[in-house]
Amino acid sequence: MRKIAIYGKGGIGKSTTTQNTVAALAEMGKKVMVVGCDPKADSTRLLLGGLAQKTVLDTLREEGEDVELDDVLKPGYKNTLCTESGGPEPGVGCAGRGIITSINLLEQLGAYAETQQLDYTFYDVLGDVVCGGFAMPIREGKAQEIYIVCSGEMMAMYAANNICKGIVKFAEAGGVRLGGLICNSRKTDREDELIMELARKLGTQMIHFVPRHNDVQRAEINKKTVIEWNPQAEQADEYRKLARKIDENKMFVIPTPIAIEELEALLMEFGLAA
Amino acid sequence: MTLLRHTPAGEIKEREALVINPAKTCQPIGAMYASLGIHGALPHSHGSQGCCSYHRSTLTRHYKDPVMASTSSFTEGSAVFGGQANLLTAIQTIFSVYDPKVIAIHTTCLSETIGDDMVQIRKKAFDDGKVPDGKLIIYGNTPSYVGTHVTGYANMVKGIVRDLVKASETKGEHLAVIPGWVEPCDMREIKRYLNVLGVPFVMFPDTDGVFDAPMTGKHVFYPKGGAKVEDIATAGAAKASLCLGRVATALGSEELSKTFGVEGDVVDLPIGLAATDRMIESLIKTYGLTVAESINDERGKLVDLLSDMEQYLWGKKVAIFGDPDQLIPLTEFLKTMGMDVRHIVTGTEGNYIRDRLTEINPTANLKIGGDMFLLHQWMKNEPVDLLIGNTYGKYMARDEDVPFLRFGFPILDRQGHQHFPTVGYMGGIRLVEQILNLLMDRIDRDVEEHKMELQM
Amino acid sequence: MIEQRPDAATAKQELVGKYPSKLAKKRGQQMVANKIEDGGVVPEVLANSRTAPGIITQRGCTYAGCKGVILGPTRDIVNITHGPIGCGFYSWLTRRNMTDPGPDGENYMLYSFSSDLHENEIVFGGEKKLEAAVREAYELFHPKAISVFSTCPVGLIGDDVHAVARKMKEELGINVFGFSCEGYKGVSQSAGHHIANNQVFKHIVGLDDQVRGQKKFRVNLLGEYNIGGDAFEIEELFKRCGFELVATFSGNSTYGQFANAQTADLNMVMCHRSINYVAEMMEKKYGIPWIKVNFVSANATAKSLIKMAEYFEDAELLARTKAICEEELAKVEVMRKKYAARTHGKSVVLFVGGSRAHHYQELFKELEMKVLAAGYEFAHRDDYEGRKVLPTIKVDADSRNIEELHVEKDEALYRAYLSERKERLESEGYTFSDYAGMMPEMDTDSLVIDDISSYETEKLIELWKPDVFCAGIKEKYVIQKMGIPCKQLHNYDVGGPYNAFRGAVNFYRDIDRMANSPVWKLTLASWQEESVESASPVLEPALA
Repeated sequence: MRKIAIYGKGGIGKSTTTQNTVAALAEMGKKVMVVGCDPKADSTRLLLGGLAQKTVLDTLREEGEDVELDDVLKPGYKNTLCTESGGPEPGVGCAGRGIITSINLLEQLGAYAETQQLDYTFYDVLGDVVCGGFAMPIREGKAQEIYIVCSGEMMAMYAANNICKGIVKFAEAGGVRLGGLICNSRKTDREDELIMELARKLGTQMIHFVPRHNDVQRAEINKKTVIEWNPQAEQADEYRKLARKIDENKMFVIPTPIAIEELEALLMEFGLAA
Repeated sequence: MTLLRHTPAGEIKEREALVINPAKTCQPIGAMYASLGIHGALPHSHGSQGCCSYHRSTLTRHYKDPVMASTSSFTEGSAVFGGQANLLTAIQTIFSVYDPKVIAIHTTCLSETIGDDMVQIRKKAFDDGKVPDGKLIIYGNTPSYVGTHVTGYANMVKGIVRDLVKASETKGEHLAVIPGWVEPCDMREIKRYLNVLGVPFVMFPDTDGVFDAPMTGKHVFYPKGGAKVEDIATAGAAKASLCLGRVATALGSEELSKTFGVEGDVVDLPIGLAATDRMIESLIKTYGLTVAESINDERGKLVDLLSDMEQYLWGKKVAIFGDPDQLIPLTEFLKTMGMDVRHIVTGTEGNYIRDRLTEINPTANLKIGGDMFLLHQWMKNEPVDLLIGNTYGKYMARDEDVPFLRFGFPILDRQGHQHFPTVGYMGGIRLVEQILNLLMDRIDRDVEEHKMELQM
Repeated sequence: MIEQRPDAATAKQELVGKYPSKLAKKRGQQMVANKIEDGGVVPEVLANSRTAPGIITQRGCTYAGCKGVILGPTRDIVNITHGPIGCGFYSWLTRRNMTDPGPDGENYMLYSFSSDLHENEIVFGGEKKLEAAVREAYELFHPKAISVFSTCPVGLIGDDVHAVARKMKEELGINVFGFSCEGYKGVSQSAGHHIANNQVFKHIVGLDDQVRGQKKFRVNLLGEYNIGGDAFEIEELFKRCGFELVATFSGNSTYGQFANAQTADLNMVMCHRSINYVAEMMEKKYGIPWIKVNFVSANATAKSLIKMAEYFEDAELLARTKAICEEELAKVEVMRKKYAARTHGKSVVLFVGGSRAHHYQELFKELEMKVLAAGYEFAHRDDYEGRKVLPTIKVDADSRNIEELHVEKDEALYRAYLSERKERLESEGYTFSDYAGMMPEMDTDSLVIDDISSYETEKLIELWKPDVFCAGIKEKYVIQKMGIPCKQLHNYDVGGPYNAFRGAVNFYRDIDRMANSPVWKLTLASWQEESVESASPVLEPALA
């Protein structure tokens, strides 16, 4: 089983990209589990056709030690398995600890057991690696590959670079590697070239350039991935390409994060600072 | 005037949030105790200074013996930026100043909430050359807000198995024994059984000779006792495992099975007649051995004592509080003695505990995850003849004028628990003796003058 | 007996020799050979500084200092620990603070209260559970006040204990207040003392203005925690002399005493480290001057009582106090001579607390014993070198996160006549607001060590072989395994009281018993090595 964590700046389209990619993999006949690691619990909405009824933490809260795997793991599009870690409302408690708690619980319950016959587990992680809890999915024995969703916008690239710093720390200990950057286009100038250059500097690749398309939003309104909503859509093919690239990816690196000055220089070079 | 004068009798209002007079404490102290059962290990508390200080103090008061452990001494900065820097410094300092064979790290509520990753930090310590050749670092995750001190023992035991046991394709003849959280003398007694029965074994943790160190005029920083690292390693080649006390050892047993392919039984702590029988039955099953006559004799002596003294024990009402692995066989043993266990409280939660205790004694008041305040209320509403529990019970015992047997952790005001076992048949004899002494002293104290008896 | 002890400078080199260089350098600044120059100037010692991670230290945490030390002895406040169960458990009855619940009988000190946070509350926030816990405590006990103590994870998950306290105060109509005393704040218990002082001053002191009892000679005793009944001894003496004790912070205290404390005319500071903040704030707000006192040792007790009497400028009070002191000192002296004959020339080291390592030196001097070395567990530089160094103490990051209350003169309650009296007495040579520290009273070339580690403790015993070692529970059995008796100065080994005149005699007897106990000669049997001196011990009974 390959365990993959998807990181990236908040609002960049991580969950959408992840679910569409997962749908494409499922279409290819892969058995995939998605673990949403965002307190908002919206990482599996498109696969389930609506928000998950109950998150792992909610269930744990109500059921105590009686919780069973079926209570938290729900079947989604094409037999994907979906679960949401959940977490506190904004401003209270500790969302990071929530992720640690729920991943521990999933392990205890055997969500990753061989009997599940999974080909892939995807962790869709909230925003940046803001604290120890958000690094839980990339600790030893958990995700081995990371893809960072970014765009040509300054802050998205800044976040990507920061995430790389987090990866370095865990790569040295646990063997997690960066598999590449996914550019989720915001239609900024020379975006593909820019992200390719950023990827080169980080020692990785831009694994795919996902163009912007309104079909994504249309599908979302219908609580579906593009692949499910309109399998013939051009955009569906983009996700299929991405899924295939990930499936065939052989390039796994410990990234080389760059200095902030270098990042700024990069933006200057591609004309965005003007 | 009573001591606990604000504890009301009568209708008991259930509390949802407030714990009063806990029948439990937090995980790290159990991890510290388990770690000290490895020879040459220094337990390290990854958190604020206070945790380590509290745990050392409590264990010291219980044993009246040195308890050495170090701390990451977190500051506000470490709480914000993570504890990696502190732990790396600590590792370097510990190896250069205290030179242990093993640093046994346990986490705390603070480092667990921050999310410090022990695997990553340990790797970095090795990569940065902070760990001298041949030295080891093991860890257990012990967030204080999960489970109790018993859970902490269990989690550290799991860490010991995961980090110190070596995998082996071939299996030998020896038994890997994991005792639950019992006293050093109990660990010694369990080893005696295995020796007498001729079972080759490796046992860990083993605190025999650690908390009951002799006075020699020197402080031996790493006492003679403790399971040796090289011996623990061989558990991966064991024929089978035997774990005593499910709550404290199930994780260790599972790790032995899952990671090292060593299967075996998890039985109750051998407290009392039936539970000791079950431990021996498990050994018979694994080794097909013939039980030594001396053991049969010990068993016979216990039964003899029970039959001789049955009249003093029968029907006496008992209230007990303590840790689940003890409470389960102890309740069973009290029933064997013919006693009537009325109230049972343990601070540790779990359905397994509830099911076992309900099965053994369906009629008692039972609270899993309860506190001593509740127990005291029950005792006021339905008085008992004997209270059994740790030292904190003495206030209730005095208030209710009930004979009190100190049993469990911590015992802060009496001696003997570190030296005289309560496991096995002879341990059963000791328990019966202690209970009889309490009940009979009470009779001698209270009996009318003209009814005083010479013989009892 | 050791013929020649290495001198302090050599010993110091030995103590730090094994440390990594950076640590050795720092520890070097935390140990000094004492030297007293003109004007009582002593060498600087680095104190109130972080303990290096990995070092086995005596120190505890901020929560322990706040909940355990300062609020621990408060019998009629329901003190709820907000956190996982451990902290509330470990601080339950472990500090031997005695209390006399008196006629009202209210006493919660035998209870431990906790919100017992589980993982669920760590993730989702613990404020609701805390609210419920406070409500349940109120419904069960209807106490005068409820307080809440934050533990480490509470600080991380951001529960606002003060907001909860305000809300519950409103709802229940009793005083409810919180302490942000998370364990990781500060470098030792000391930060917790400061936080406790602040909140007690802010939320309780001054709530009750009615003057009760005797109108004159009204005093507060600050920094006395009634370990083993110490405060009972002092209270009795005050009564005999004619002082009206308004409040003790916080041994054998009540909530009502704190609330009324501002009606006293004088504050006496016993443990300077833990309580000087309240003394300072009360002087600023109410004009009540403070003096440093010490009731450990017979002579110190007499000196302190007479100084108190002198403050009130009342001939009768002074004469009575002096007569009592004379009478008691005479009684003590008989016993002192008897015990000192057996302890004379023996040596001692003291490593404990933030005042005790100083105070108890006086008792050892009365026993004619030599103090070889001493140091504190959680003191600051002023406790070593005297308050004169206060302006030169640098405020570092670990102190900056503790609130400094902004206190102003209370125009209605400020008693100018007290400050005027202070001024007048000062001009006559009476000293207020002063603490000279431990070092000026120690011998030159004695060794001063702050925050001694377990490694240094053992090394020091090897080098200097003191006859008696004073420390705490974690050190006790390490020291005794080395054949040296250890007197615990936190809990007195379940002995005491050691304060005032009778307490001094108790201490003489206990130290004689320990230092001369035949048990230390039983270690080796005749057939073991080094058996010469231990063969056939003569069992001398200790003096009754």
